[in-house]
Amino acid sequence: MSQRSERRGIHVDQSELLCKKGCGYYGNAAWQGLCSKCWREEYQRARQKQIQEDWALAEKLQREEEEAAYASNQGTQPTPPNQSALAPFSKFEEKKTNEKTRKVTTVKKFFSPSSRTTPKKESHESKTPSPSISRQSSIETDRVSRDFVDFLKSLQKLGREIHKQCRVFIESMASKKDLSADELSEYVQDFYQNMSDRLLTHFKGSSERVECVMDQVEKYIMTRLYKSVFCPETTDDEKKDLATQNRIRALHWVTIQMLCVPLDEDIPEVSDSVVKAITDVIEMDSKRVPRDKLACITSCSKHIFNAIRVTKREPASADDFLPTLIYIVLKANPPRLQSNIQYITRFCNPSRLMTGEDGYYFTNLCCAVAFIEKLDAQSLNLSPEDFEHYMSGLASPSRVEEKSTWPQSSSLVSPGLTQMYHNLELLTGLGERQQQVLDGARGLQAEMEEWQESVKQQVHGIVERYPLEVRPPALPIDSENTENDRLPPPLTPQVFAG
Amino acid sequence: GARLGGGSGCCVSFCYSFKVVLLGEGCVGKTSLVLRYCENKFNDKHITTLQASFLTKKLNITGKRVNLAIWDTAGQERFHALGPIYYRDSNGAILVYDVTDEDSFQKVKNWVKELRKMLGNEICLCIVGNKIDLEKERHVSVEEAEGYAESVGAKHYHTSAKLNKGIEELFLDLCKRMMETAQAEERMKGNGASQFGAARRGVQIVDDEPQAATAAGGCCSSG
Repeated sequence: MSQRSERRGIHVDQSELLCKKGCGYYGNAAWQGLCSKCWREEYQRARQKQIQEDWALAEKLQREEEEAAYASNQGTQPTPPNQSALAPFSKFEEKKTNEKTRKVTTVKKFFSPSSRTTPKKESHESKTPSPSISRQSSIETDRVSRDFVDFLKSLQKLGREIHKQCRVFIESMASKKDLSADELSEYVQDFYQNMSDRLLTHFKGSSERVECVMDQVEKYIMTRLYKSVFCPETTDDEKKDLATQNRIRALHWVTIQMLCVPLDEDIPEVSDSVVKAITDVIEMDSKRVPRDKLACITSCSKHIFNAIRVTKREPASADDFLPTLIYIVLKANPPRLQSNIQYITRFCNPSRLMTGEDGYYFTNLCCAVAFIEKLDAQSLNLSPEDFEHYMSGLASPSRVEEKSTWPQSSSLVSPGLTQMYHNLELLTGLGERQQQVLDGARGLQAEMEEWQESVKQQVHGIVERYPLEVRPPALPIDSENTENDRLPPPLTPQVFAG
Repeated sequence: GARLGGGSGCCVSFCYSFKVVLLGEGCVGKTSLVLRYCENKFNDKHITTLQASFLTKKLNITGKRVNLAIWDTAGQERFHALGPIYYRDSNGAILVYDVTDEDSFQKVKNWVKELRKMLGNEICLCIVGNKIDLEKERHVSVEEAEGYAESVGAKHYHTSAKLNKGIEELFLDLCKRMMETAQAEERMKGNGASQFGAARRGVQIVDDEPQAATAAGGCCSSG
């Protein structure tokens, strides 16, 4: 469509309209200047190439997986003690027999777009992902898989074992699509628990190393499972998302004063931090791994703390933090907020969620959402009538307050406007300074010219005053020596024959 | 939940992780209390931490490592209903009131009721009367406060964040009590009672010895 503008020109050469392949038919901008026939050929070729590339990648990945599986089978099967170590995973054992055939089909399934989209289509036609999106996510999945394999290589034998367990687990999850979200969560949590127990034994209790491996396991598993377990159709997560979104939209009139948020957005650093916090909490939706989503919340919280610290000049307590977080959530209206919270709760490695710093911020986010859902007149110190009016859109609080607090209402002027005035002032100042610089430059130029002229004149004057006298050429040194003739003749060499 | 990770070395040593929630009305000095404990500073311009909402402290009590995570909670009345979200899975609670403010003591009573209802007797409660440097303006009597604490199975402490009085004792005592509770829970688990539930709450007991021999490649693949 972008080529349209080119055709708007008055002059179009006949040759520009023809197919670029030179077949004589007219081309079409939408087909990159080709005619329909040539375009189809071109498109088919590109597609064929794409498919071949996909297959090459799939085969490569499969080979890697098989090698890993083979190596771990070699390593584990003949020694009986390992079987007991495998006990927690024994429910997957029976699948081992037809592992090979299934592996091929899963990889195939993975790359054929039709099988990917069908389950979605059945229930939610509007949600069918566009090919470019599914293509992108499969690239991401491949990248994560590759990173995971690379990471496990450093663990040697244990790494192969972990890879196998993860793969078997993911495959087993594929057959459990119909289960409720809580059951799915239970399975994943059990898997985390078993895996970390085993790692703890293996690393002889070094919990840092276990955490490190578990982070990678979580990343791999949840990237692969994301599509099927995020906002699953068995739950009403989506409905809740919409409800929360509409609720936040309806609360657009809530001001910083009503929530008693300790922020002064007139300070540029504060408004800057607010924008960053909003960006971070919105970005949470784009991450796939629960831990990455948590990291977005943490980053958002850190920006909030910075804003509070700049405003209040003391470290933020929860009394300051929670209202500010609520304010940020109201301003951001993050997409699929409920789905994301549910997803993190269900599938995040519990050791992070329970006691860590990330867990604290996540809990605060849950509190903020709960507060927004239940928010009423009392919680904003408003009369029920006012609250009703604002909610129904009959009145707008900012105007009412503007009247009452007009004299000292500098804080009510929108920060954007303040910023704009500030910028305008700055620009005017800059303009003036530029003019000064220009004037100065011109002055300097004139001065330079003057100086050049004066030097020229001085030189001229001196040259005139002391004209160059050209002396006659000097004579040979002894030309004036008249005594020369009286000197005896120079000695001449004599030859003696002898 | 209390989380136990195995220590390093051959003999099994544990590392406890405890979550402690901090409850109290706006101006009772919650923040000063934790900042005094974790940074040993009071109203100081040189406080390095960006925030005083989530603070951690590492302790060593009778040879056992303890990681303390202190969760501050928003004390305003309008956030009262959110309490349960905060104190889920916590091992201890510090309920702070201002000895010069009768109202703040009433708030503490409300929280105690709620905590006991939600978490039962598994949570260690500390009721803390702060600002004893303002003894002259005291409005909550020592007898009343201590009597109440005893009646609900909580311990009572008097502190002053300003003068740095009673704070170390408060936290040390709380940690010891939480360790006892966790150890009692371990013994329960040892008896086979509610093993799965305990694991889910995050309590793990790691006993290296018997399993180490059977772990896959445990001895050679890592240093």
